[in-house]
Parts: sequence; structure tokens; C-alpha cells
Amino acid sequence: MKNVVSVSLGSAKRNHIVETELLGHKFRISRIGTDGDFERAIDILKSLDGQVDAIGLGGIDVYLVVGEKCYTVRDGLKLMDAVNKTPVVDGSGLKNTLEREVVLSLAKKGGFFKPGTKVLMVSALDRFGMAEAFEEIGCLVTFGDMIFIAGIPYAVRTVAELEELAAKLLPEMVKLPFHMLYPTGKKQETVDRERAVKFASFYNEAEVIAGDFHLIKRFLPEKLHGQVILTNTTTEEDVLCLENAGAGCLITTTPELHGRSFGTNVMEAVLVALMGKPVEMIRSQDYLDILKQLNFSPRIKYFSSEYVLQAT
Amino acid sequence: MATHQEIKESLMCFLDNYQKNERLKIMNRDWNRVISILVRDNQSQFTMVLEKGVLEIKEGAAQNPDLTVEADSEVLADLFYGDITPTEPYINGTLKILGSEEDILRLDFISLLIWGE
Repeated sequence: MKNVVSVSLGSAKRNHIVETELLGHKFRISRIGTDGDFERAIDILKSLDGQVDAIGLGGIDVYLVVGEKCYTVRDGLKLMDAVNKTPVVDGSGLKNTLEREVVLSLAKKGGFFKPGTKVLMVSALDRFGMAEAFEEIGCLVTFGDMIFIAGIPYAVRTVAELEELAAKLLPEMVKLPFHMLYPTGKKQETVDRERAVKFASFYNEAEVIAGDFHLIKRFLPEKLHGQVILTNTTTEEDVLCLENAGAGCLITTTPELHGRSFGTNVMEAVLVALMGKPVEMIRSQDYLDILKQLNFSPRIKYFSSEYVLQAT
Repeated sequence: MATHQEIKESLMCFLDNYQKNERLKIMNRDWNRVISILVRDNQSQFTMVLEKGVLEIKEGAAQNPDLTVEADSEVLADLFYGDITPTEPYINGTLKILGSEEDILRLDFISLLIWGE
């Protein structure tokens, strides 16, 4: 049996274990949250090194790929450096391939995203593949990085401006403690009510809300009006939360395993374990090829027959 | 050590670049803050006032600042001239910023948007 573990800076409440079979291989996939405890995460990573088939790093990014540039998050790299023998990934490989493909395929075959569809990506610098795909389709996208990361009510509307801001901000931002940029630990369990109210109009104006689920949840207004949510890392409780808030439909880019959509880091670790190839030798096409073999498809869950964006 | 006049000139340079940045003024329309700047090694004090996107810089101490920026004169002059970014001195403790984490992050964004790249 292949053993894949995700070590996350997120809440331990979201821990989960599943056993499944993929391409004839049995897998045990588990997730260990450390409630934002960085040192504990390092200790766990060291104890797993050489003992499991692949490790995913959750609740943190290591590599932010924006266009032709790749920015390395200092705290993420510290975690990665704690592992010497086992392949370790952060999900960035899949974000740049699977998520881009999911958006394009849902637009082409599912009729979900059409030119002119109003999309809010709560953050795009960590999901540049998805951002480019929405723009390629002709969606009217609001990239919410300035809004939801820095609290600056400034909507970025083009990938070009996003890249320009990334070039100015990311070389320095990646040096900051990660908790300043992203909700870790217990913050993942609470809504920032003040900012959720302040920035509710960005959610209200959108037909599609896409991106990191912890960010979507942290700034979620009390009421949605049938929007499509495109994300991953959702638990059954999260699905219920979205349904109760009034979301029209939930699409998760990673497949459901026993009622749970795992993060891209977990799925990337699974793919790495399947390929059995050194991580540094894996290219985007390798991910696409194996995803095709696995026939992974996004999970679509409708909450209401009157959701805002009617698929055709 | 940078003199009081040198720090004042660096702040004017920062202000000048802020004024030229229309996007930054739009970004700061909702952020009204008083920022105190304390120079450790020559006792100079300055006050930045941001209101509805307009930035003003005055000499002297601030009453009830929302944020306090404190460092040696050389660090502050380098910072406001854009020769260094605030991140490294903030992390290594040579630049101290007192205030809420959200405000500190936002101040960092402003500096990087003025001087970034």
C-alpha cells in the first residue's frame, strides 16, 4: 500500500484518512493539521521523512508561479527543507495544470463559464493557471488578492495587472511570516465578519466565486444568491455551510474521496507516488498524462435548481 | 548617521513618489491613518497622515498614532529613498513597526508599490 500524508498548517479539526485504489495501487491518504504550529509541522515532517511514499504541504504555498516567474515562499521552503528523502510537494504543479484544465473543460463541455461571466477569484497569485484560463475564456474577472490578502479594496481586472503587481510585491512578500498573508490554524475556522461585510459587494456582484476555500470561507457574506463556487479542500461541513449560505452549486477541482475533496497538495503527492519519478523531473505534461489515465473529473454538486449561472 | 534634514528629504521623496502614483491613491481611499515616525539615534520625529488617499508629512510627534515606525536614521532614510525595502529590516528587528498586523501589512504594500521592482 502506498502511504501519502499531507502535513498542514491548517486546523487539526479537518484531519481525515481515506483508503482508496488508483490505477491498481492501494493508497492510504491522510491529512495532519497542526493548528498553525510551524515547529510542530517541522517535527512531523522530519518524523515522516523516509517513512511514507509522498508528502504534501498544506495550508501554505512554497512556489507561486506567476507567468514566467516563480516566487518561493520563505516559510514554505523551511518546511520543505525539513524533508530529505521522501518526495514533497505543495500543490503548485497541479494548480498550474489540473485547475487550468478544469476551467477550460467546464467552459467547453459543461457550459459553465461563458465570455462575460462575472468571476471573483478571491486570490489568483496562488492559482495563476486558473486565472489565465478564466481570462482566456473571456470572463469578467475580479482578482481579489489586494482585497482579501491586504485588505485594500482595489479590484485587479486583468492578468497583466496581476503580473505587474506580483513583480512589485511578491519578491518581498514571500519573506514575511506566512500567517501575515494567509489564514492559518484557528483563523481557518472563523469568519472575519468585519471584512466580510466590508467586501460583501465583491461576492454579491459575482456569478462565480473561485479560489482557495479558506479565503472564500473567511470572507463569506451571510447570504449568497446562487453563485457557483469553484474550489477544493471542502469537508462535508463546508459543503453544508455553502448550501446554507445560498450557494447555487459547488465545483471542486480535485475529485471527491469518501465525501471529501482534498487539497491540491494531497492530490499532487498521490500523483507523485504513482509516477515514482523524482519531483524535479516531473513536468506539467506528466501531470496531465496521469490525470487522463485516472480519468479524474471535477465534482459538481447542485444546491439549487435556480443557481445563478445556468449550465447549458 | 543620517541628519534630521536628510530624513526629511527622504520623506519628501517618498511623498513625491506617492503623489505620482494615482493607483495607490485609489487603493488608500478607505484607509485613514496617522503614522508616527521615530528616529532612534537623533531623536527626530515626523508624522504621516493618510486621509481619503491623500498623504501629508509633517515634522513633529503625532497625537495617538495608529502606527509607529521606529528605526535608526540610516535605515529610515534608506527606506524612504527606496534603497531598501521594509521587509528585511522588519524581520531582523532593525525596523520596528507598532500597530495592528493588518495595518503593518498594508504599510508594507504601500512601500512596495511605490518602490517595487
